Amino acid sequence: MRKEGPMILTVISSLVVVFSQYFFLGQKWALMNSVNNWFLISYSIALALGFVNLTTIHFKYIQRKREGWFYSIILLVCMYGYLVLGLIQTQNGPQFDWIYVNAYSPLGATIFSLVAFFITSAAYRAFRVRTKEATILLVCALFVMLGRAPIGDAIWGGWSAFVSKWVMGTMNVAGMRGINLGIAVGGFATALRIMLGLERAHIGGSGTQ
Amino acid sequence: MMWLLAQEQAPAPTLGIFSTGSVIDFAFILLLGVIIWIMVARARTGRKIPEIKKIAGLEAVDEAIGRATEMGRPVVFIPGILSVDNPQTLAAFGMVSHIARQCARYDTRFLALNCDPLPYAVIEEITRQAYLEEGRPDAFNPDDIRFLSAEQFAFVGAVIGIFERERPAANIMIGAFYAEAMMLAETGSFQGMIQIGGTGMTAQLPFFVAACDYALIGEEIYAASAYLSKEPVMYGTVVGQDWMKIIIALLILTGAVLATVSPDSKFLSDILGGY
Repeated sequence: MRKEGPMILTVISSLVVVFSQYFFLGQKWALMNSVNNWFLISYSIALALGFVNLTTIHFKYIQRKREGWFYSIILLVCMYGYLVLGLIQTQNGPQFDWIYVNAYSPLGATIFSLVAFFITSAAYRAFRVRTKEATILLVCALFVMLGRAPIGDAIWGGWSAFVSKWVMGTMNVAGMRGINLGIAVGGFATALRIMLGLERAHIGGSGTQ
Repeated sequence: MMWLLAQEQAPAPTLGIFSTGSVIDFAFILLLGVIIWIMVARARTGRKIPEIKKIAGLEAVDEAIGRATEMGRPVVFIPGILSVDNPQTLAAFGMVSHIARQCARYDTRFLALNCDPLPYAVIEEITRQAYLEEGRPDAFNPDDIRFLSAEQFAFVGAVIGIFERERPAANIMIGAFYAEAMMLAETGSFQGMIQIGGTGMTAQLPFFVAACDYALIGEEIYAASAYLSKEPVMYGTVVGQDWMKIIIALLILTGAVLATVSPDSKFLSDILGGY
């Protein structure tokens, strides 16, 4: 029953979602609202589990005085401090909001800005002319870059923009749509495998039946 | 009250039972289900089903774990940043089971880093079960299955920190990724890890192709659990998936021919869009 129970729940939940999505009565009864509420409840419980996991790991780091253990103290103080502040002020509290806007957001933006440097280093590796495919990639990238930068217009007039548009709008879109088609069918097939009980990875074990 | 409101807002049914605009969608799902059922039935009765092509990224999973074992360093798995309601995360679960089993078998440390609490809870259970089934429940360390942060860039910071401190030998990223794809893959590349990246987010695919040793492109991640299981029944589902793609491709071709021969014809779009 340890595996059958979750399996039955999975099949019932997926049938409810299909019924609410495609059938008139499902929409009329607004079954998806109940499903969404259950999802939120499960999420909250899992978030508490994650909270415990973080606390346990960092408490152990502090106990064992592992290298960088003082960062664990900072993490736990911030995590529990912000939790307590949120419980006192709720999510609209002035200090609670101030910390998010003035501390978390700039920190997040700083990490995000690193993407530019990572893209540069990855592009350098990808565009090195070592194979026939890499050469084609480099030539296409060159045209697209020139078409989107003012220097392209200065060298070739409207031609660079035309070529860039053609590469992005015709070659790129054709490839991307093909991939998207496969992704959509693959997603459906995965859902069906789970609904039919053929795939059981999500309930532990070997993953297939 | 919500129920009453929903009742008032619900439009008239199509063909008596279906919600508006969902008949064709449902028919496609039904067709896919029938094709998969036929292929599974064929596989179960031992009849021949078409082969699946070799997927280099999936063949490389065992190689990556082997390398980590030789180096005595951990294998990291990241199941994307979305929750269990995304099929890409479900596809990642199929791989976790295989990777955790291999790590348990070879006594290699397995680290799973999560951004969402629901996959974290599921992956912990899958890993525990995998270690149990390999007869090594004592080797399972719950602290190695980690929830880091539900915030995207805080998660990135935590993962990069773990990459620097723990020095994993292999990094396997399967699931839904956004801007963090490039950061994680490039950091892994700087560290000299053997990397396998797979996602269905088309905007992030080029980053995995550029920065990872092996990339699973789009639908390949959905075939992963079937491919790694090497079970004919599961192969059957992937073959069914391919048949469905052929049907859709034929439909696209028919549309292209119709649009060329008779540009004003709305025959196909009326059928597909009308229901």
